Amino acid sequence: MSIKVVDEQEFRLFIEKLASAYEVVAPVKKRGEHVFKRIFDVGEVDLEYVTTILPPKKYLLPPSDGLIKLKKNGEFEEVKPEAQRRVLLGVHSCDLNALMILDRVFLDHFKLPQYVERRRSLLTVALTCLNPSPTCFCASMGTGPSPDQGYDLLITKISAGYLLEVGSENGEGLIRIASGRQGGKKDLEEKCKLIGEALKLFKKKIDDVSGLPELFERNLEHDVWKKLGEIDLACGQCVMSCPTCYCFDVSDQLSLDGSESIRVKEWDACFTLEFSEVALGGNFRRDRAARLRQFIGHNLGWGGGVQYPELGGRTKCVGCGRCIRVCPVHIDLTEVVKTLRSG
Amino acid sequence: MRSPFQLEPARLIEVKRENVDTKTYTLKYEEAGRFREGFDPGRFVMISIHGFGEAPFSLSGLLGEGMFETTVRKVGNLTGRMDTMKVGELVGVRGPYGRGWPIREAEYKDVLIVAGGIGIAPLKPVIEHIERNRERYGHVEVLYGAKTPDNMIFIEQFDRWRKIKDFDLKLTVDSVPDRVAWKHSVGVVPLLLKDVKVQPENTVVLTCGPEIMMHFVVQSLLARGFDQESVYVSLERRMKCGLAQCGHCMIGMKYVCRDGPVFSYSELKGLPDLTL
Repeated sequence: MSIKVVDEQEFRLFIEKLASAYEVVAPVKKRGEHVFKRIFDVGEVDLEYVTTILPPKKYLLPPSDGLIKLKKNGEFEEVKPEAQRRVLLGVHSCDLNALMILDRVFLDHFKLPQYVERRRSLLTVALTCLNPSPTCFCASMGTGPSPDQGYDLLITKISAGYLLEVGSENGEGLIRIASGRQGGKKDLEEKCKLIGEALKLFKKKIDDVSGLPELFERNLEHDVWKKLGEIDLACGQCVMSCPTCYCFDVSDQLSLDGSESIRVKEWDACFTLEFSEVALGGNFRRDRAARLRQFIGHNLGWGGGVQYPELGGRTKCVGCGRCIRVCPVHIDLTEVVKTLRSG
Repeated sequence: MRSPFQLEPARLIEVKRENVDTKTYTLKYEEAGRFREGFDPGRFVMISIHGFGEAPFSLSGLLGEGMFETTVRKVGNLTGRMDTMKVGELVGVRGPYGRGWPIREAEYKDVLIVAGGIGIAPLKPVIEHIERNRERYGHVEVLYGAKTPDNMIFIEQFDRWRKIKDFDLKLTVDSVPDRVAWKHSVGVVPLLLKDVKVQPENTVVLTCGPEIMMHFVVQSLLARGFDQESVYVSLERRMKCGLAQCGHCMIGMKYVCRDGPVFSYSELKGLPDLTL
């Protein structure tokens, strides 16, 4: 696979060329934080970011997505998925791994055409993360700080500029439009050294990720759920900011004249009371503690390793740390695991 | 690519009132031939009506020729709209989904069916399957309970069922209003278990009803030596997709829509958020 080193100027030109052929989505600074946003000017791109407020999943699973159209005369019509040729630029390894988990959900069994089209049209230019945030723990999840697969092109900021490494056939096409010198062993060694230094910066970790499903299974009645359930606000911010939370609600939006309705899927959160409601007001997760257990259990316990064996034992959680960062009452997944491990 | 959310039009060809709030609807696919496969007892379909949404419904009759029955209690908007449906109207259907009753595993064994309320609906096609294949099943006992005699459904079927060879039907109600004559038991369904003839060693148990009822049924049978792997329950969850994607029916690592709705008790034991 090809390797190139480009200087700052060449990198700018590379992004400009990308933007002329694709919709380029990249981290952009917004009120002191960063967001993934379509860029119109290369100057907007800011690769010196820690974590974006929301993960890039919104480009594959928008907050609201039309599925089918129902008409009054009893006819149905599929809502055709749009396909936007898009480059996701500067995506960190955690978020890239998250996309691979979403792929298992929406591509493996029942394929959602909207997802299939968007995924097929998406090129990923990943970025080695050299500046983890205080809540990041990807290193212990095996999902960062540098990805080993799943990208088309990988960028690493090195002393000479940017190191570009190809990860797929599509990536070969992308690197061709970048002008720069051929990269070599020295550049790769520098990259390894930088990753080594970044690894020292992590403040959070999950010590042992093996046997997490069993750990949760054994501890369904652990005090930690009750204790945290008492302070939990059930606000659902953790779910909304999670790069792999994919649960959704389905509802019909009726036109004003009642002639047709669009069936839409919308982001939903297991923290809401309505999420687990059944007929006649029955509800099997009425307690906040049970809802908290569902979120953390799905992320670190049974989601991933058990549900998607092809992920090789990785959990649904990719260690991006967003749920810890946004939690108003400081519930911390890594601390929960620590508590469960300590008995 | 065909969306898994795409619907098939099905026409309402018959409505039968079962009790004050429950009716059985016979639906026939507009394109019949494609739908003979996969309609096993215990599976469910998603039914849509324009303006009222979509919900999961279990199959209460498998008629072949692209026809099936579903028995629905009027409890919300969509089921309220179904209650007003006239013969000839069209609905949208997708599915069937999920894993149904273990009718093949139960072959050449005794079968104990325990149902509460509308929980007998997904078990009716099992009884009808046994009726059609009588030689392949041993002794069959059906215990069915409802709140009052008026709340029972499939009453018209009872006489026919009673004529099935080596088949017992026992009924119970929680209470009997003064004006009603009732010659069967009074009390909750699990109480009927004390008189069953089937033995733990060679019996498959199928139960469906309120979760709390199933809890007592399962616990009582386990205490009598029935095997966790031969006791099957059907769970109710509000499936939004039926495709193991939306997450609404997740119980631990299981999706009710994909791994159930029928589970053996051994598969569910130890999972969170269950009263079983």
